[in-house]
Amino acid sequence: MAEPVRVHYQEELDQLEASGLGGLELVGSALERTLEAIEHQDVELAQIVVADDDRIDGRYLEVHQALITLLATQSPVATDLRLISALLHVLKNVERMGDQCVNICKMIPLSGNEPPADEEMVKLIITMGRQSKTLLTQAKRAFEERDVEMARDLVRQDDVVDNLNRDCFRLAIEIGDDPDKREWAMTMLLAARAIERIGDNAVDIGEQVAFVVTGLFREFEDASHPA
Amino acid sequence: MDESRPETSKETREAAARRAAIAVRPEFQTHSGGGNKEKVFELRDVDVSYSGATAVKGVTMDIARNDVTALIGPSGCGKSTLLRCLNRMNDLIPGAEVEGELLYHGEDLYGPTVDPVQARKLIGMVFQKPNPFPKSIYDNVAFGPRILGRKENLDQTVEEALRSAALWDEVKDRLDDNAFGMSGGQQQRLCIARCIAVQPDTILMDEPCSALDPISTGKIEDLMIELKEQFSIVIVTHNMQQAARVSDRTAFLMVELDATEDSRWGRLVEYDETEKIFTNPTDKRTEDYVSGKVG
Repeated sequence: MAEPVRVHYQEELDQLEASGLGGLELVGSALERTLEAIEHQDVELAQIVVADDDRIDGRYLEVHQALITLLATQSPVATDLRLISALLHVLKNVERMGDQCVNICKMIPLSGNEPPADEEMVKLIITMGRQSKTLLTQAKRAFEERDVEMARDLVRQDDVVDNLNRDCFRLAIEIGDDPDKREWAMTMLLAARAIERIGDNAVDIGEQVAFVVTGLFREFEDASHPA
Repeated sequence: MDESRPETSKETREAAARRAAIAVRPEFQTHSGGGNKEKVFELRDVDVSYSGATAVKGVTMDIARNDVTALIGPSGCGKSTLLRCLNRMNDLIPGAEVEGELLYHGEDLYGPTVDPVQARKLIGMVFQKPNPFPKSIYDNVAFGPRILGRKENLDQTVEEALRSAALWDEVKDRLDDNAFGMSGGQQQRLCIARCIAVQPDTILMDEPCSALDPISTGKIEDLMIELKEQFSIVIVTHNMQQAARVSDRTAFLMVELDATEDSRWGRLVEYDETEKIFTNPTDKRTEDYVSGKVG
C-alpha cells in the first residue's frame, strides 16, 4: 500500500476549503441580521451589517490569495485543480452575497423610521430571506459532501424564492396610490431582488459542486434558454 | 519571418520523410488509422522482458502522427523500456525480448524483414544527457547525412537542422567550434538537430530536459511544440508539469507486483488526452500519481 505524500499541502487545501465555505456562514449571519433589520426597521442593525461586510471581504481576500499561492507553488492538478477553481468561484459568490446584504441594509434608512409598511409584503420578504438562507446552508453542505443531487435540488429550492419575488412584485403593483407607500414598496422590491440574487448565487455554488465531482461544468438552468 | 531561412515547409519535409520511409522499406507505407488522426505506432498487448524477467506487460495503445505523446509514471514502471521498443533500441540489450504486436505505420516493426538500423533512421532518439560527438558543431549535425551518403547540399541540410532545432542563430558564427564548448541546453538542442538532420519521421525523447536548467528546458519545450508540425514526438518525462505543458496525449504507467511481491513490471493504467489526464483522470491511481499524493 503506497504511503500518502504531500500531507501538508493536502492539509492546507482542506483548511482553505473550510475557510472559503465558512464565508457562507458569515453571509448567512449577515442575511439573518438583514432580515431582522427589515422586519423591525432597525437602522442601527443595518449599519452593523454594512460595517461587518469587511469581514466577508477579508475572508474573500485571504482565501483567494492563499489559493493563488497554492496554484503557483504546488501545481495542483485533477480533483485538486477543480476544487481550487470551484473555490475561487464560491468565494466570488460569497463576496457578492455579502454585498447584496449591504445593498439591502443601505436602503433601510431610506424608508424612514416609521414607514407605511405593508405587513404582507414584509412577511413575503422575510420568508424569501429565510428560504435563501436555507439555500446557503444546503449549498455549503452539498459542497462539503460533494453531493451533486443535493446541489441540483438547490434549483427547486430557488424556485420557491423566485415565486415569492414575483408575489412581492404583484403586491407592489397593487399597493395603491399613496406616494409614500409606493416609494416604500419600490424600496422593498429592490430588497426582494437582492435576496433573489442571493438564491441565484447559491445555485451557482451548486453548479461548482457538480464541476468538482464530475469535471464538467453545466449550468443547472440556463436563464437565457429556459427549458 | 526570417526570409533568409531556406524553405522547410511541412509538405516538403513530410514528403521527404515519406520518400525516405518508402525507400528504406516498402512495408513502411502509411495508412490512416481508425481514429481521426493517422497512427504512427499501434501497440497491441506488448510485453517486454529482459532475460525472462517481465519489465512491461500488456501495453495496448496507439500513438498519433504529429502529436507529442508523453509517457509518465514512477521509477521502474517501464516507460523508458517502452520508449526504447519504439525504435528497436532494446535489441541492443542482450536478453531483451518484445512480444505482442508493434506496428509502425501499419507494418510490423519487429517483422523479419525489418532492418533495425534502418528503422532507427526513421525513428530518432534524444537521450537524457546531451551526448554530442567530440567534433565540431557542424560535423555533429553532418554526421548522420554523411554516413547515409547524403553529401549533396550538406551545408543546407546542416543549416536547416540547426534552424529546426532553434540553434542556428546561436551557433552560425562558430560552426567549427567543438560541440563540447556549448552549454548543456545548446548541446541537447544540437543532439536534436543531429537527429533531425537524417530526416526522421518520429523523435523519441528520454527525459531530454532532466539535466537542464529551467531556461534551457523552456527552449526545448518550445522546440517540441514547433517540431511536432513536422515530426511525431514521444517523450518520457518525470516532470509532470512538462508532460502537461507540451504533450497532446499522456500515458500513465505504474508498477505492478505479483502476489508474492517478488516480481514487478510496468502496466499502462490510463492513456488519454493530456488535458483529461491532468484535470479529470478516470483512474484513481492516475489521479493520485499526477497529484503527487502517492510515493
